[in-house]
Amino acid sequence: MTKYLLKRLFWMVPLLVGISLISFLIMHLAPGDVTTTEAGFNPKASEESRQKLRKLYHLDEPLLTQYGYWLKRMATLDFGTSFASHQRPVFLQIKDAEGNINKGMIQEALPITLLINVLSLGLIVVCALPLGVVSAVTRNRPPDRAITVFVFVGFAVPGFWLALLMMYWLGVAHDWLPISGLHSLDYEHLSTPEKIADTIRHLAIPVFISALGGLAGISLFVRNGMLDVLHQDYITTARAKGLPENTVIYRHALRNAMLPLITILGLSIPGLIGGSVIAESLFAIPGMGKLFYDAVMMRDFPVIMGILTIGAALTLLGNLLADVAYAWADPRVRRGVAK
Amino acid sequence: MTHFKTRFWLLVPFLLAACGNPGASSGIDYDHSYPPQQGGTLIDAMTGEPSGLIPMIAGESAASTIAGYIFNSLIKYDRNLDLEGELAKSWDISRDQKTITFHLKPGLQWADGMPLTSADALFTWQLVTDDKTRTPYGADYKLVLKAETPDPLTFRVSYSQPYAPAMDSWAGLQILPKHILQGQDINTTAFARNPVGSHYYKLEDWRNGERISLVRNPKATQGQAYIDRIVERIIPDSASQFLELLADNIDSMVLNPIQYARIFPSRPELGKEIALYRELGNGYTYLGFNLKHKPFDDKRVRLAINYAIDKQEIIDGVLLGLGEPVAAPYKPGTRWVNPELKPYGYDPEKARQLLKEAGFEDHDGDGILDRDGKPLAFEILTNQNKQREMSAVLIQRRLKEIGIDVHIRVLEGASFVGRFIKTGDFDVIVLGWSLSLDPDQFSIWHSSQTKPGQFNIVGYNNPQVDKLLEQGRLELNPDKRMKIYHEFSRLLLEDSPVVYLYAGYGLPAIHQRVKGIANPAPPAGIGYNSYEWYIPEPLRRNEMSTR
Repeated sequence: MTKYLLKRLFWMVPLLVGISLISFLIMHLAPGDVTTTEAGFNPKASEESRQKLRKLYHLDEPLLTQYGYWLKRMATLDFGTSFASHQRPVFLQIKDAEGNINKGMIQEALPITLLINVLSLGLIVVCALPLGVVSAVTRNRPPDRAITVFVFVGFAVPGFWLALLMMYWLGVAHDWLPISGLHSLDYEHLSTPEKIADTIRHLAIPVFISALGGLAGISLFVRNGMLDVLHQDYITTARAKGLPENTVIYRHALRNAMLPLITILGLSIPGLIGGSVIAESLFAIPGMGKLFYDAVMMRDFPVIMGILTIGAALTLLGNLLADVAYAWADPRVRRGVAK
Repeated sequence: MTHFKTRFWLLVPFLLAACGNPGASSGIDYDHSYPPQQGGTLIDAMTGEPSGLIPMIAGESAASTIAGYIFNSLIKYDRNLDLEGELAKSWDISRDQKTITFHLKPGLQWADGMPLTSADALFTWQLVTDDKTRTPYGADYKLVLKAETPDPLTFRVSYSQPYAPAMDSWAGLQILPKHILQGQDINTTAFARNPVGSHYYKLEDWRNGERISLVRNPKATQGQAYIDRIVERIIPDSASQFLELLADNIDSMVLNPIQYARIFPSRPELGKEIALYRELGNGYTYLGFNLKHKPFDDKRVRLAINYAIDKQEIIDGVLLGLGEPVAAPYKPGTRWVNPELKPYGYDPEKARQLLKEAGFEDHDGDGILDRDGKPLAFEILTNQNKQREMSAVLIQRRLKEIGIDVHIRVLEGASFVGRFIKTGDFDVIVLGWSLSLDPDQFSIWHSSQTKPGQFNIVGYNNPQVDKLLEQGRLELNPDKRMKIYHEFSRLLLEDSPVVYLYAGYGLPAIHQRVKGIANPAPPAGIGYNSYEWYIPEPLRRNEMSTR
């Protein structure tokens, strides 16, 4: 097992280098660089100044040399500093000689996005389980049909549009929820429970909108899993034993039906670090989606590469974890590994 | 951010239909007049976040907005866009016009209590001209041969020859504190996120991606502003900003034409709480020809296209009437606009006739004009900007009517600049210029500025215009300068290297609780006296909720 793990970890390194090389090259294929946007169309910004900036950022050197610089820094886990955002560190904070802390861009955006995505995934699971079970149990009868229509409408409705309607209804027409942002202006002066309540209020609409779109997939997964299981012999046996229907469904059927769901959830772990640009702009949430979008628009290569690399590393790690979990859970896989 | 505007349209019918009352409207009479008084918080919304607050390094508009509250320049533009002293109480220009001497006001202080002297001005000049400083704005200041400080209240700069745009450049250079920044690397200093300035406000708190708040600077060099705190919330989406405004969570924002001209008129009750303003923007949108490509080297073709485009139609359709046609590349309402010049009217007959003179006729009867067997067809390139895209579509329709086959191609900003503008690989573009307040446009129209990366992107070349632009740079007397630039605009309009499409209005909306705002807006816009704005106590928000 340890050997297997080490082998997998070792092979991740060339994979990561490959991914980073490809993303580096593709990013630099896009025309323009940070100087074509930063100084963009300001007649006050002369061409010489822009050439000077290109030199300072090494943008005038051959691509592979630039990649070399990047790789060299990465070898010491230094993600560098942003071109466009006044030298802010890309990943982790830097402390300068006077003790001023400059927070990292990903360091600040990642927890926000993670929080929203975890909450929304949690909400999806909490809602999708009962919906899927009810659907399966009442297969092709009105409750099943109603649930299917509901989750598909939720899937099909444009999120930004529904978000605007909800912001209007809950925030403007009624003063029930905040419209945008992450914290109230008086956040620092609140007590801890009030802070938590404040954050929950701010996240309510974004999390709801993001969960609504994901509900259809998961609830149908649960439904189909349940249907498969419900036709198994041991369910018939359970019923024949005279067990109450609830016990049959929740104790015997649901547990087995949840196995494929766990696979799906495992696969969605790398997706947790990605944010939606549209939702984040709409709700004024400084998350990963907006960070990446702005970086691409500004051709802010260190930030783009930082996000892609961390994303790739997390994806590989997620896959590894899933495999390990399988090996741990399933002796057949484990034995196959041992060979 | 084109898709945001598109999405906003989807909300329009809903907002029009909704007759619910917005926010906690509380029967307060905002029309009552109150004397100016100190205190209160103004909450504003911005679409972007500054990358840092050192104005010479952070180029984006969000940074200039915030830096404008924190830092002073030596001189500034007043309400009519004439220059007046800010840190300097006066300035002299030597007889040969090569030396400018600024006399600082006595007793100036930084927000931390240290004296602000001419040494700070000299230090700032050294910074902006230093090759290690990552600023795109060094060029104007590098023309200074010698900068000196004979005494703490005098700052003197000498040029090798008179340079009229110098005054504008000094109005644009915000003075930084030497005692803090000396010996630091300006490109990485923590000062960018924790600045010390000398203007009305100082930074209180900056929460990344959420908001920046400013408090009154008790040591401000220009006296005290009325409003105690300014909170700038960062809300990238205009529709969200608008909802926040309706809910009374923010006091001010900049509207788009749909919000201004469609939603507000349909909901009169909004007017009781929110006042709308209209100010002239600092830029114009144009259709530019590549003068190095045929057939755009032919003035008759350019004029024909100019006559064939209905500018009022574009203003009505794209800006919902919230803009003006222009005939000169200057901000309307300023002295640099030649009042005798009128935009080319819409005259398709004249356009057809001019094209015929240039040899374009429909020989093969396919509805498209041609010359020497080649049809008159071209591609209009523009970047992702909804207003420019829509203008291009209206132009396409009008040009089709006179037999020109036009295609439109919309490109992402950096690719557009890098791939097409810098290389000169385009026929026709729809773009905009935002202008500085100085009339000098040497870099945009002089024939020496056509190399890749320079700003004469259309490749304009007129020796007479070159001469005027050179003269204009040497002349510091505003009246003589005005004559030079009036003549320059006349020649430019005649040559028609670009078709001026429109100058759009800026459309700020501000809650009625904020008093002291000039309406109608003076040429400088409503913000010129924001230090005189005040929020009477009975109209303030619950102060706890903004702390």
